[in-house]
Amino acid sequence: MRNALAAEWLKLRTVRAPYGILATTGLMVVAGAALSVLIVQDYDTSPAAEQARFASADSSVVITPVVQFLAAALGALVATSDPRLTALTAVPDRTRLLLAKTVLVAAVTAVLGTVTLAVSTGTSWVVVGDRPPPIAPWESLGDALPWASAAVLSILVTGLAGLGLGLAVRSTVVAVVVVGVLLWGIPAITPMLPQPWDTDTSAVMVPYLVWQVSGVAEDAPLGPVAATAVLLAYAVVTIGAGAVTLLRRDA
Amino acid sequence: MIEVRNLTKRYGGTTAVDDLSFTVHSGRVTGFLGPNGAGKSTTMRMVLGLDRPSAGEALVGGRRYRELTHPLRHVGALLDPSAVHLGRRALDHLRWIAASNGIDRRRAVELVEQVGLGGARDKRIRALSLGMRQRLGVAAALLGDPQVLMFDEPVNGLDPEGVRWIRDLLRGLADEGRTVFVSSHLMSEMALTADHVVIVARGRLVKETSIGALTEKGSLEDAYLDLTTGRGL
Repeated sequence: MRNALAAEWLKLRTVRAPYGILATTGLMVVAGAALSVLIVQDYDTSPAAEQARFASADSSVVITPVVQFLAAALGALVATSDPRLTALTAVPDRTRLLLAKTVLVAAVTAVLGTVTLAVSTGTSWVVVGDRPPPIAPWESLGDALPWASAAVLSILVTGLAGLGLGLAVRSTVVAVVVVGVLLWGIPAITPMLPQPWDTDTSAVMVPYLVWQVSGVAEDAPLGPVAATAVLLAYAVVTIGAGAVTLLRRDA
Repeated sequence: MIEVRNLTKRYGGTTAVDDLSFTVHSGRVTGFLGPNGAGKSTTMRMVLGLDRPSAGEALVGGRRYRELTHPLRHVGALLDPSAVHLGRRALDHLRWIAASNGIDRRRAVELVEQVGLGGARDKRIRALSLGMRQRLGVAAALLGDPQVLMFDEPVNGLDPEGVRWIRDLLRGLADEGRTVFVSSHLMSEMALTADHVVIVARGRLVKETSIGALTEKGSLEDAYLDLTTGRGL
């Protein structure tokens, strides 16, 4: 297992695409910080009545969906970037190969998510300074932890979903498109469904699950435990689909 | 030694490999001959655990390939030189394969020099010619210093110098006592390289014999065409 994991890590480090994903993530963090600054500047020059209607200047809320997508692309890359013939000749134990890829994607996306959320929430905290709510998203930095933790978990889950879908469909492009539809396409449609389907279906969409996992959403259809289980189910189902393809089909 | 026992592979209603049995012994180059679609590549893929047999089994050194913990230390294979990530550097390609089987990374550096790619080791694979990619594939096959080597059409696309290099390499590996199993369409090349041949057609074994016995009455090409067109010798 250690050798298979070392090989997967080396494979990831020796192609360009992951560095593009890292650079894009960094760019998103910087863009998010710039957005926080612009919101705060606008806030400072607005009348008190308008200030009371401002949204929070927490940039992590804006960039998390993009980082989820980037994590999914990373997972799909780990699944599909090397021809199976070479990968399976080197590591013919497919269960071990699957485990190595899963551990790698989980570790890398967990670090990616943690660093991204730490920097973006920290930056937002500094930019907002001692301004009051609603532009201040938290009373103390510790209040950011539930949302940030849920966001990191969602980034890890979408990374694993990218891996599972990549293994299942054996195509980076198709896997990334499917994740895009799951993250942005379907959640844009579900609120338009008639009641109670709008609430029921939206509650199990990744963007809404993050809020429910964090426990900060008022009147959420799902509690944090149920929402966490549904979020994790995305990873379990997609990795399961990838496992079926990898373990049962010819290379 | 490679043992193929009653190996069968069916894709729906099509039988690609049909109850095939033969043994590839050590210390000689065994040519694997047959027309296009005869089942040579499918057989090699089943030996390497890439495809599951519909029936029968293939063993390397008495064990199934998938059961080997460090397979590249037992078997080296070059089935498709294009099965690489084109954006990776040549040396990095060898390094990850070495890492996957716990092989010292210095072995990758040694081999990239040994196959004549020392000057191209830091080039991305997409910048390598077909011949250079073949050499990289050979280096990957040799990484684990295996006793068994399998090559599928190793001289495809090579220039005369590359063809001779492969021929000398295969002969040298067999002379060291290794099992060398090579598929090819090129009868003239097999006549120069192989000691023994396994001939298949339509997925079935047609002949398993030494080159000497096969060429007693004429050229290898004549004998091969007689066998694979069903007329027999």
